[in-house]
Amino acid sequence: MATLVLDNGAYTAKIGYSQEKVSVIPNCQFRSKTSRLKTFTANQLDEIKDPSGLFYILPFQKGYLVNWDVQRKVWDHLFGKEMFKVEFADTSVIITEPYFNFSSIQESMNEILFEEYQFQSALRINAGSLSAHHYFHSKPSELCCLVVDSGFSFTHIAPYCRSKKMKDGICRINVGGKLLTNHLKEIISYRQLHVMDETHVINQVKEDVCYVSQQFYKDMEIAQLKGEENSVMRDYVLPDFSSIKKGFSKPREEMVYSGKYKTGEQILRLANERFAVPEMLFHPSDIGIQETGIPEAIVHSIQSLPEEMQPHFYQNIILTGGNTLFTGFRERLEAELRSLAPAHLPVSVQLPANPITYSWEGGKLLAHSPDYEEIVVTREDYEENGHCICEEKFDI
Amino acid sequence: MVLEKKGSARVEAGQRRVLDEATRQRRLTRQLEALEKDNFQDDPLSSLPPPGPTARLPAFSETEEPEKKKRKTRGDHFKQRFRKNFTTLLEEENLSEKAEPNYLSAVAPPSSLPPRHFCCVCGFPSHYTCTTCGGRYCSSKCLITHRETRCLKWTL
Repeated sequence: MATLVLDNGAYTAKIGYSQEKVSVIPNCQFRSKTSRLKTFTANQLDEIKDPSGLFYILPFQKGYLVNWDVQRKVWDHLFGKEMFKVEFADTSVIITEPYFNFSSIQESMNEILFEEYQFQSALRINAGSLSAHHYFHSKPSELCCLVVDSGFSFTHIAPYCRSKKMKDGICRINVGGKLLTNHLKEIISYRQLHVMDETHVINQVKEDVCYVSQQFYKDMEIAQLKGEENSVMRDYVLPDFSSIKKGFSKPREEMVYSGKYKTGEQILRLANERFAVPEMLFHPSDIGIQETGIPEAIVHSIQSLPEEMQPHFYQNIILTGGNTLFTGFRERLEAELRSLAPAHLPVSVQLPANPITYSWEGGKLLAHSPDYEEIVVTREDYEENGHCICEEKFDI
Repeated sequence: MVLEKKGSARVEAGQRRVLDEATRQRRLTRQLEALEKDNFQDDPLSSLPPPGPTARLPAFSETEEPEKKKRKTRGDHFKQRFRKNFTTLLEEENLSEKAEPNYLSAVAPPSSLPPRHFCCVCGFPSHYTCTTCGGRYCSSKCLITHRETRCLKWTL
């Protein structure tokens, strides 16, 4: 029997059979200005030749699955013959859900997996639990770990002790990649060029040029300098989707400091935006969100846990989710934690090779573990006992 | 010219409308809600151009119609059950009466650090507050831009 692992994120789905490699696919539908009647699903995004003004239809709201119509369209496409060719009667599925997922969503999930798709068996689990499983698998001697998952909708801090989730220590910051992109879109539109319709393009800008500053006020000073001294400033060449398919940052030696390029490409000039945007993760109060940033939230979470465990958590912090890919994210977090944590405790923050698929890899490991059969709910179980059995076995 | 405007800005201050705390809070909430939006623009499907002489409206309505009908019959009960937005679902969970930890209790507490202030025009650290709306600015140049563009534009 095959096992399909699906880390069902609010922006991308990480999917693949437990024997194979992972694919990262947009978990949404799109409409484009050029072919208005057609709705593109998931990786059909690649078929859109001119993705300017791309319109997103997302199944998630604030990190929770609400739009089942869209989600089913995406899943139909992923499971269908064009992609994973799932033989439902002979397939087990591992699917992820957010922490504290609403009970009505959980019930809908059971119904859709067992009644609509008719999977042979299923395991519903938090993505963070898969990350923790991955971590304990690669470091069997460690007792505790703290998963920091900074994704599209929000950032979660989740402590695990011996692969058991410590529910009381889970902490959520309502800052995620979506908010960062929207904020960047907003400030660019106000300061230089109207790009409010260009979520797709600006998201790429964010991924290409934004970074986490190590010395925030120092970088602010540099960003104010004129000409060549301003080592923070970058000119970003926007794509026109005919000759320039993908935007890119101009190499520094080709930069014209007056900003007057003769080549005629459309340029965005970015200085403090580059690091002020990811700064939201560390200081949500900068834009008026009254919540602690990630370092403070980690300390808050660890302090709510039994004292004898605390040193273990400071030493085993693992970063997952797309936002942790910002250059300097790990270093900054470790430095800030170092100054916040008790001086005698060692602090270690680890960034895996691929923080986006880290939890998917954890799911893959779990699928191969000997007691996998015991933690799933089979379709017969479900037909016999309904939602109760799922509630009993799955820890969401 | 800049100097002239700067001078008048100070005299004007007394006569300018000053937004109260509640309005400022509303504006902030609205700004934060805007940051949660999936799209700024309208759905391209809903903004189809009016059919011109070359547009072949009947052709596409023929292909679109049956599909829509099919979806309605099949998904009717799904629409009933599965089309609730986040706020409705959150209310239905009735979390204030449920045991902690839950979605509401897990949110990060307010920071113990004092808030930092940045110019709402250029984004650099700022020292001054706009008397009208409470927005921050760093120089008279930015204040002028702020007054002309944003100051009262986001008022509900």
